[in-house]
Amino acid sequence: MVRRKMGLVLLVASLFALFAVSCNKKSGSNVSSGKGEERTVKFYFIGPLTGDYANYGTYCRDAVEYAIEEFNRSEAAHARFSVQLEALDSAGDQNKALAQAEKAVADKSALGILGPVLTGETFSVAGMCQNVGITVMSPSATHKDITDTGDYIFRTVISDGLQGEVAGAYFAQELKYKKLAVLYTMNDYSKGLYEGMKKSFESNPGCQVVMTETCNIGDRDFRTQLTRLKSSTAEAIYIPNYTEEMAQILEQASQLGIKKPFLSGDGFSNPIIYDNAGAYTDGVVYVAPPQVKASTLYSAFVNAYSKKTGHAPDSFACNAYDAANIYIDAAERMLNRGENSREAFRKQVAATKDFAGVSGTINFAPNGDLIANQGVYKVNGKIPSFLGEYRVVNNKLQKAN
Amino acid sequence: MVANVICPVRIAALHAPCRQGFFGIMASFFQHFINGITLGGVYALVALGYTMVYGILKFINFAHGDILMWGSYVGLFTYNAIRGSAGPGAFSIFAFFVAMLVSCVFCALLGMSVERVAYKPLRKAERLAPLLSAIGVSYFLSNAAQLLFGTQSRKMDYPFDNSPISFLSVSITPHQLMVLAVSAASMAFLIFFINKTKTGKAIRATSLDQDAAALMGINPDRIISVTFAIGSVFAAIAGMLVSLDIKIYATMGMMLGMKAFVAAVVGGIGDIAGAVLGGIMLGLLETFGIAVLHIPVGYKDSIAFVVLILILIVKPSGILGKNIREKV
Repeated sequence: MVRRKMGLVLLVASLFALFAVSCNKKSGSNVSSGKGEERTVKFYFIGPLTGDYANYGTYCRDAVEYAIEEFNRSEAAHARFSVQLEALDSAGDQNKALAQAEKAVADKSALGILGPVLTGETFSVAGMCQNVGITVMSPSATHKDITDTGDYIFRTVISDGLQGEVAGAYFAQELKYKKLAVLYTMNDYSKGLYEGMKKSFESNPGCQVVMTETCNIGDRDFRTQLTRLKSSTAEAIYIPNYTEEMAQILEQASQLGIKKPFLSGDGFSNPIIYDNAGAYTDGVVYVAPPQVKASTLYSAFVNAYSKKTGHAPDSFACNAYDAANIYIDAAERMLNRGENSREAFRKQVAATKDFAGVSGTINFAPNGDLIANQGVYKVNGKIPSFLGEYRVVNNKLQKAN
Repeated sequence: MVANVICPVRIAALHAPCRQGFFGIMASFFQHFINGITLGGVYALVALGYTMVYGILKFINFAHGDILMWGSYVGLFTYNAIRGSAGPGAFSIFAFFVAMLVSCVFCALLGMSVERVAYKPLRKAERLAPLLSAIGVSYFLSNAAQLLFGTQSRKMDYPFDNSPISFLSVSITPHQLMVLAVSAASMAFLIFFINKTKTGKAIRATSLDQDAAALMGINPDRIISVTFAIGSVFAAIAGMLVSLDIKIYATMGMMLGMKAFVAAVVGGIGDIAGAVLGGIMLGLLETFGIAVLHIPVGYKDSIAFVVLILILIVKPSGILGKNIREKV
């Protein structure tokens, strides 16, 4: 009997310990400083830190946290001002993201928001933030229309519009496909990529998307759709989905004996695909942000980030790190001019020119979108090889540099 | 002019998707059938544990899926630790069974602890209270897993060669066959256990009337504990098998639990054969609903719930369930 009681006590104690751990983690994301009020600027991070998409959110949060820790640590920075960060969890839910953004807006000391991470939640937040007038910079919301919401909305990730456009042109003009099938996820991101690709692909004579299948977020079984795709006349299958779904799709396609080549998008740039999809990634061609040019900035970041988190950053984490540094840079220019308002901050963010980030040189278009080319990759076994940087001019694919 | 050029291509393309003739259509049909049955096997396997606990306690253990998820993580770690870098083969299969055993023991303990902490104090409370408590436990378990194990899916490598067996372009994998076989074996074992063993008899007695069972010398607390342990052991087995295919992640229990719950209710909740029947029916309906009736995939999950609503209207006790009078 005593022993049983002990067991119960132990269990309860371990539950408390868990709570304590979780609480600690939360308070850990406040990078605070002992500086005076006027010398501190505050940013909010919003993204999924729990739930199905927590993976994307925590990668980006860690990158943002690291950027700010790094800045606060440096002596030179301390003499000027320090940066405070508060990370808010959207759980990948559009309504929760909006509620969290409202919380950030209500904090008068907040200059800007880093994130949100997912396209859907960024859409739900963008309109409100534009109306209130607080700068939003997403490291990963790729839907083509995101930055058209207004002049307060920026991003450091390449638009899907561009990705879909280059993908369609590349499939038609380089790979010479005439018939494609598509399996996309029913959400803004995946559908946006599909529509962009289709429009660009079908603008080539004789090119046609002959079969379209859809799936839901969080699906793990794609055999029904794949069995239908197997009987289609398509020469290849385009799967612009999230990493985890794609791993399932590739594995199940091979189990069903599908021999058609697979084409994909930037979800493939997350190295987890090679853990989860095993050998089935071989031969996949995908369009994603161009390879980061080997730079000391980049390798220093990858090393420091890996040391802090225990895993390498994905491309969104690199974008998040750049976004945080662009914010810090803009805040500094603003403070140097003796200004301190959300409006002045937006002006300085928009004025960013040739910013040397870990993901490359960053410039913004007048609507706040990132100016960039797209990269094309082909996977050999488990290693992606870079085929080059492309852009589309008047429906014609052009190789950059 | 432009329209004239484009139209023939479009029309040809619209008719093109099914290029095969009769043979191709039949092959697709059988492939869908196999997909449906094996998907149903997964639901059935998870539904068995649900239905078992419900049969005894008349209480739905919403944390069942999360116990399954924890079992899968524990199983994965054990499996990887034993197996090291060995490829598919006899040693990996051995490692897999040891891991499954560890996972079963772990889940049994976890199931019993959950019952002790979250359900037992509420046994005399209103019926809604333990249900809410179960949902709370479910959230706690899945969030704790996310905190400890991180957010990314983890792959458990197949311990055997899982290349599909193909016959006339219809394929099935050894893993899918195994899921079906284990579902059938689990069902047979549970039916035998409940009906033919002494503990089974005690479980049935407790299920009928706890007070009367206590008067007959049965310790209801112990029996309820045993029921949770057995239910959780089946969660562990299901978890180990299912996660080979769908990967292991902290929210996996939510999706599986929902579908298994529907399967259990459709088959007749509390009825062990009903859980398997309900699971397989659900798998087939989901597959053929999309493949043959062309229900948009967006409504895939609604198929399960529409079936649930229909069953609740037409035969609330489920397909195999018996109509029992409410105890007054």
